[in-house]
Amino acid sequence: MYALIKREIQDHIVYFIGAAAFSAVFIIISISLIHRYNPKEPPVFSIGLGVPAVTIVIFGICAMGATQMYLDRTRKISALLSTLAVSRSRILLARIITGILAILILLVPQTIAAGILVRVFTPHIPMFPGMVFEISVVVFLMAFACYCIGLQTGWNSSALTPSLGALFLTCIFIPLILIKGFGVHIVVILVLFIVASLLRTWHTFMTTSL
Amino acid sequence: MKPLIKGLALNYPVKVFATGFVVLTLLSISLFWFRYICQMSLSVKMPGDAKDIRIEPSGLVPPELENDPNVVSHSRVFASMQPEEKGPLSLGIFDYFITRFPGGRRSPGGHRSNVYFFESDRDCMYFDKKSGQIVHLYTKKQTMLDITTSLKMIQLYVGPEGVSETQDKTLGRFIGPIIDHGWLERRWIDLREGGLSELILYDKKLRCFFKIDFNQRTVVKGPKLGKNDRRHEPIQIGLLDKTAFELSYLNWTPPRIRIPDEDPNKTGYSTAKLKPIIPTDYDCDAGPYLLVLDETGRIDLLDKETLEFVKRTPEFPGVAGRLPGPETYFGPKDSVTPRELLDYKVWPLALTTCFFENPEEVRVTFGDPSYFFKRAPARVERKYLGMFAASLSRDGTALALAVFDEKGKRIKESNTRLTKYEGGHTTQVQSSKAFFFGAPWSPTLTIGKYLTENLHPPILSVASYFTASAFEAASGHRALFFLPNSFIAIKAGDRGENIAERFMSALCWILPSIILAIWLACRVSKDAVVVGLSENARAYWIIGTLAFGLTAYITYRLTRPKITLVTCPNCGKMRRPDMVKCHRCKSDWHVPELIPPVWRVLKGTEKVHEGSTADAEEAVVE
Repeated sequence: MYALIKREIQDHIVYFIGAAAFSAVFIIISISLIHRYNPKEPPVFSIGLGVPAVTIVIFGICAMGATQMYLDRTRKISALLSTLAVSRSRILLARIITGILAILILLVPQTIAAGILVRVFTPHIPMFPGMVFEISVVVFLMAFACYCIGLQTGWNSSALTPSLGALFLTCIFIPLILIKGFGVHIVVILVLFIVASLLRTWHTFMTTSL
Repeated sequence: MKPLIKGLALNYPVKVFATGFVVLTLLSISLFWFRYICQMSLSVKMPGDAKDIRIEPSGLVPPELENDPNVVSHSRVFASMQPEEKGPLSLGIFDYFITRFPGGRRSPGGHRSNVYFFESDRDCMYFDKKSGQIVHLYTKKQTMLDITTSLKMIQLYVGPEGVSETQDKTLGRFIGPIIDHGWLERRWIDLREGGLSELILYDKKLRCFFKIDFNQRTVVKGPKLGKNDRRHEPIQIGLLDKTAFELSYLNWTPPRIRIPDEDPNKTGYSTAKLKPIIPTDYDCDAGPYLLVLDETGRIDLLDKETLEFVKRTPEFPGVAGRLPGPETYFGPKDSVTPRELLDYKVWPLALTTCFFENPEEVRVTFGDPSYFFKRAPARVERKYLGMFAASLSRDGTALALAVFDEKGKRIKESNTRLTKYEGGHTTQVQSSKAFFFGAPWSPTLTIGKYLTENLHPPILSVASYFTASAFEAASGHRALFFLPNSFIAIKAGDRGENIAERFMSALCWILPSIILAIWLACRVSKDAVVVGLSENARAYWIIGTLAFGLTAYITYRLTRPKITLVTCPNCGKMRRPDMVKCHRCKSDWHVPELIPPVWRVLKGTEKVHEGSTADAEEAVVE
């Protein structure tokens, strides 16, 4: 399994570099924003800057899922690996773990930085109880759900369908955050969506002939 | 893990359900934005006249003041709605941040306490869940011995058992405290005067009212409401206002008299200014009482001194009033709960009589007199006059305004209406109808909204009909799967018909959806025959498509078996090559029997037996 994950990381190293770079950029933006902090005003500027940036990142994560499946489909990677002592389920599992790793590389440093900044710079009263945690969880789930969309649309031999399909479906899906916010409702919907998407991807991947 | 994965890989229904949920989610999000755009456009286009209500005279001012000969403008109460404001505020992301910022949500929804106020690090109040105590920081002006003034920062911890400067377990623990947000609005005046007024608090879990005196640092505990006393379930006290944002607006103006302008050459209205007939404090103040909103929508009066509800007497029914039910598209509703309203606002009115040391000097004011007199009166009498209550309907299209007198009797009531002038006479149209059809292009947008609702799965539309009242009004605006603000769900609130009639007429509202589902089910049924699904699978798909409409049809198209069909030699129709029998005519495959040729290739000369050619030809004919 470790070898499979390592192989997936090597194949998609550009996404990992991008995730690390974006993470650093977001931390710098957060530090600069905290200086403008005013507890009486909602962080409209932060939201205005954060939403498009998060959108770009989420599109990137979706593209990663689509690329992984598209390359497998066109280059018959899993067909080749299946001739070795590797099952297809393990190949897909390694792929999904790789996707989660990329998302975590992007989000974990930001979450830690945001937690520290809120603790240091905001007043010592429970101003925003659990906000950093709630937002981080939702952003992680949203990123993973979009990655799952990429996995579903990428399993196609045409180059156009995965690109446009993933883009279109992600455009529809991301505004779910606007509709539902960062509360419990969106967590439930995202978890169900992820489970359904993984089941569908799994079924498609396992039943497609080599 | 392996067996599970293998099992899932072979499980076609799992794939169908998984795909169905993905399709349902993506389709619901798309339909949400279509509905949202239509709803927002309708809100913006709503005729201005249909947004306001005015009651004049208000009915609560004593006749000697209202009918004073100097009065040029009678007392009036004015309510207005801003449906265009609800668009962004109804989105979950805004609601999330609003509920987490100090003062954003006055009505304590869910598990959050409304004890939350922040001006600066030195001027704030919050409920510390860990210790169960309220922490209050403020700055007090104090006079030093040399008559100079300085500011002293005070930090107090408040529990059910007392107030202290240090956090102490002996103060006890609050569990679910709610406070009067009107006190928060008044406190800056109190601080300017040198001390804070008493804060009344209710703990939902302890079921008890408390009176906190920050100056004396005491806590007075009121009588406990019985655990089985389901009659009282207070959800908000004092300032009764669902949201700090102006989804609706309520204002009261006292009777006014004219003051001649200094410049007599001016003409018209500018020659005179109007001022209240008596000094008026515009803060919501119920005099000796505190308004308490019950979860049923009833408003009770709490005696501020005894912390007990005002008891029922022959003169007073024990209730100050209740939130009025706005007229929805399908008619009025008698009673509403705060959950069912997008916004509500209540304005109590009190008359204060101040007696000074000179027995002849008596001054009367509306509201709290402390702002008007530099000298403290010798005696103050406060009388509760009644209250005004405004409610905004769940869908934000209708506003109701009611006036209750001091005995809790509804004396006046009005709803938002649009006045139309046609052929020399005027007609009144209720505002929810004006919302949908009153402005240019509104009918088109309404039809767009209606058709979008009908693309939603019929079974979820029916479920919305039954569950509409279970949703909190604001959360209904961001619903994806159940639609409490759809036409069919609004119909559920219609009390004009009996249950069966109401349900049947509600079904008529989703008739296009039902017709679409039937048509799609026919298409699925035909296609399922062609692709060779079993009888059972076909039946399930038909039922599924009837229930979920477009969602089920898209799911079917994505999950149907993708097999290249071949022509059946028996019936001539397309059949699946992976089945033993043709799924159309049930005939077997006609595979010619393979008979080995009788001839052999030998090293030597080829020898052909007699009749061997004939045998081979016969075999081919068979």
